[in-house]
Amino acid sequence: MGRRVTLAAVVVFLMAIGLLPLVVMFAKSIVVDGQASLAAYRGLLTSGREWVLIRHSLALSLSTALLATVVGLPLGIVLAKTDLPFRRLFTALFTIPLLVPPYITAISWFNLLGRQGALSKVLGSAAAQATSDWLFGLPGCVLVLFSTFLPVVMLLTMTYLKTVNARLEEAGKLAGGWLRVLKGITIPLILPGILMAAMLVFLLTLGEFGVPAFLRYDVFAVESFTQFSAFYNFGAATAAAVPLVAITFLVLVAERLFLRDKSYRLRLAPGGAPSATIALGASRNWIVALVGLLCFVLVVAPLLVLFSHSLSLAAYKEAVSRAGDSLLRSIAYAAIGASALTVLGFFTGYLIHTRAFRFWRAVDTLTIFLFTLSGTVVGIGLISLWNHPSTNFIYGTPTIIILGYLARYTALTSRITVSALAQIPPSMEEAAQAAGAGWLRRMGLIVAPLAKRGLVAGWLIGYIFCLRDVGITMLVYPPGRDTLPVRIFTLMANGSTELIAALCVIMVVATLLPLGLGLFFIRS
Amino acid sequence: MKRQGTLLTTLGVIIAGIVVWNLSKMPGNTQTVVVYVSEDQVFSEPILKDFERETGIKVRAVYDTEEAKGTGAMNRLLAEKNNPQSDVYWANEPIRAEVLKQRGISASYVSPNAAGIPDVFKDPEGYWTGFSARARILVVNESVAEKPQSIHAYTNARWKERAVVANPLFGTTTTQMAALFTLWGDDRAKAFLEKMKENGTKISTDNGESTDLVASGEFDFSLVDSDDGVNRIRQGKPIVMVYPDQGEGGIGCLIVPNAVVLIKGAPHPSNARKLMDYLLSKETEQKLAFADCAQIPLHAGVETPSEVKDIDQIKAMEIDYAAVARKLLEIQPFLKSWVGY
Repeated sequence: MGRRVTLAAVVVFLMAIGLLPLVVMFAKSIVVDGQASLAAYRGLLTSGREWVLIRHSLALSLSTALLATVVGLPLGIVLAKTDLPFRRLFTALFTIPLLVPPYITAISWFNLLGRQGALSKVLGSAAAQATSDWLFGLPGCVLVLFSTFLPVVMLLTMTYLKTVNARLEEAGKLAGGWLRVLKGITIPLILPGILMAAMLVFLLTLGEFGVPAFLRYDVFAVESFTQFSAFYNFGAATAAAVPLVAITFLVLVAERLFLRDKSYRLRLAPGGAPSATIALGASRNWIVALVGLLCFVLVVAPLLVLFSHSLSLAAYKEAVSRAGDSLLRSIAYAAIGASALTVLGFFTGYLIHTRAFRFWRAVDTLTIFLFTLSGTVVGIGLISLWNHPSTNFIYGTPTIIILGYLARYTALTSRITVSALAQIPPSMEEAAQAAGAGWLRRMGLIVAPLAKRGLVAGWLIGYIFCLRDVGITMLVYPPGRDTLPVRIFTLMANGSTELIAALCVIMVVATLLPLGLGLFFIRS
Repeated sequence: MKRQGTLLTTLGVIIAGIVVWNLSKMPGNTQTVVVYVSEDQVFSEPILKDFERETGIKVRAVYDTEEAKGTGAMNRLLAEKNNPQSDVYWANEPIRAEVLKQRGISASYVSPNAAGIPDVFKDPEGYWTGFSARARILVVNESVAEKPQSIHAYTNARWKERAVVANPLFGTTTTQMAALFTLWGDDRAKAFLEKMKENGTKISTDNGESTDLVASGEFDFSLVDSDDGVNRIRQGKPIVMVYPDQGEGGIGCLIVPNAVVLIKGAPHPSNARKLMDYLLSKETEQKLAFADCAQIPLHAGVETPSEVKDIDQIKAMEIDYAAVARKLLEIQPFLKSWVGY
C-alpha cells in the first residue's frame, strides 16, 4: 500500500511540475482576450520564417547527431576495448565539454577563431575574418555542439560495450579478426544503444539555446526566447515552441516503437566473463596520435585559449567582486536541486525498474521528454503557471528555479537509478520483505544503501546539470537571485573579454572540482 | 573508509554552509528595493552598488541579457502586470518607459532631482524621467576622405554597399526608425528605408558589430550609439564620430536618454523613490559620463569626457517620445518584413 501510494504521489508530482506548466502555457496561447484563437499558430504556418527556423533547427540537430555518432562510436570502442595508452585520461578530457555549459565552449572557440581571436595573431586579419564568419553560423554551432555532445555517444558506447557477452566475441574471433567481430557481432549488439545515444544528441541539440544564441544562428529555441523576451509575444513564443515539442515527441515515439523490444537496457554481461581487449599492435602509435590530436583540437586548445584570456589578476578580482555571490548561489541551488533530483529520481527509477504501474513506460517517456525539451520552453511554462499573487512564495523565491530543475533533469537521476537497481539482486529486497520490513523501511535500509554508488553518481550529474543551467534560470530567477551562468550572460553585454574569460574559468572549476571529489569518493 | 567519511562530511558541511549563507541573505521587506535594468549590467551595477553603500538599502536587480536586446526586463514587467515584483525600472531608452505608461504599468513620480533636466527628456505627467543620454551618431572609418554628414548618406549612390546598420527590430535602432516615421510620416519613412535597401545597406546584429565592421574597413560608416563610438575610439580603432544633420534645416541628432520609472503597485514605494532620486542626481550622471559608456549628462554644469559633446552643443532631433512609442509598436510588422522575418 505504502509503495503504491508513494509511487503514485511521485507520478502526480512529476506531472504537476513538468506537464501542467506546458498545458497551461498552451492553453494561454490559444485564448486571446477571453476568446479561443489560433492566430499565433496561423502565423506559424503562413510565415516563411518558420520554415527557415525548421530548416535551421533540423540541419543543426541532424549534423551534430551524425557527426557525434560517426566519431563517438569508434572513439568509444577504442577507449573501452583496446590497449590504447592514456585511455582514462582521454576519457576524462573528452568528457569535460559535456560538463561545462555549452556556451562557455562557444566563448572558448570565439576567443580562438573570432576576429580578434588567438588565431588572428598567427594567421592575420583576413584569415581571422574568414574563421569568424565560419564560426558565426551553422558550422560553428555544429563544431561547438559536436564537441559538447560527443561524450554522450562515446560514454554510452563504452557503457553498452560492457553489456556484450565476451564469449560471443571469442566465438566470432575463431572465424575472423577483430574488425570482423566488431562489424558482425559487437556493433550490431550495441546498435540500439548507439541509436538511443544519437537520438539523445539530436534532441539535446534541438533544445539548445545558449550556443545558437551566442553564435547568432536562428533556431526555434532562440526564436522562442526572443519572442518572449524581446517582443513579449506570449502566443508567438508558445507557437515557436510547439514545433520543438512536436519534434521531440515524435522522435521519442519513434524510439519507443523501434527500440522497445530490443535488449538495450543496461545489464552487465552475464557469466562475469571479462570483455576481451583488442591489441592495437603496430597501429597503436598512430591511433594514439589521432585520438590525442582530436582531444587537443576539441578540448584542450579552446580551454587553453579561454584560460590564457583570463590570465589577469585584475580580471579575477573583478570577477569575484561582481559574481562571487552569484557563484555561491549557483552552488547552493545546484546542491539543493541535485539532492531533490536524487530523491525524485530514486523513486521514479524504482517505478520504472520494477514496472510498478502499467504505465511505467509513459513515466519514463515523460521524464525523457522534459529533459530534451528546450529550457526556454520549460521556463515559459513555469511563468504561465506560477506568476500569480497567490503563488508568490514559489514565483518570487528560488523555489521556482528548483522546480524548473526537477521538471527538466529528473530523467538523469531516474535513468542512473534504473541502472544501479539493475545490479542489485531482487532477492535482497524480497528477503527483507519476508522478514516483515515495510516498503519504505526496505527502501531506506536495503535498496538505497545498496544503490549508494549510483545515487552518488546521480547526485553529481544532477549537480552539474543544475549548475550549468541557463535556459530555465534566465527566464525565472527572482530579482537579485541570479546564478553564475546567468550573470556571465548578462555581463557579456559590453563586459571585457578578460572578465568573461575569468568568469568562465571560475565556472569550469566550480563544475569540475566537486566532480573530481565525487569520483574520488566513488572509486575509493 | 574513514577517509571517505571525512571527505563526505567536509563536502556536506561546505555545501550546507553555502545553503545557510544563501538563506541568511534572503532580504527582508523593509530595507530592500527591486529594480529591473535594461542598461548594460557592466555599467549599471556599480551605480546600484554605490546606492546600497550610501543608503544601506539592499538592491535586488534583474538585468537584461544581450539576446533580449534591452527589452527582456521590460517584458518581464509586462508579464507581471497583475503581480508586480519590481519597484523601479531603469530603461536604457525612454520608448519602453512610454510603452509601460500606455499599458498602465507605471506610476507617476516627479523627483526633486529632475528639476535641472530639460523638459523634453521628461514625461510631462511624471511617468518617466530621462537622465544620462546617448546620441545616435555616425561612426566613419578614418580613411574615408569626405565624411558623411547626414543619415541621408544611406540612400546616396556614392555610398552604395558601403554602409551598415544594426537590425532595426531591436534596441536604439528601432527607436531611430520610429522617430523617423514620426518626424517624416509613414510614406516618406518607408520610401527612405526602401532606398536604403536598394542602396545595398547591410544589416548587422547590433550597434557594436556595426562599429567593428566600420573600424575594420569593411564598411565606410554606420549609424550607432555614441557609447559604441567612444568605446572603440578609446581602444584606438580608426574611426571618427559625426553628429548627423546638424546644419541649417537638418533634422538633428536623435538623443536617447536612460529613463527611470516607478512601477504601479511597487512592493517598496518609499525605497523606490529614494533610488529614483539617486539615479537622477548630478553625481550619477557624472559617474555614467566617465564610465566606459561615456553617457551625456542632461543636467547643466556636469563635466563630460572629451570624446563627447555637451548636450547644449548638439542640435537634437525634435520629437515627442510618446508619439515615437506609439509608432514603434505600429511599425513592427513593416520592420519585420523589411528585415526579412
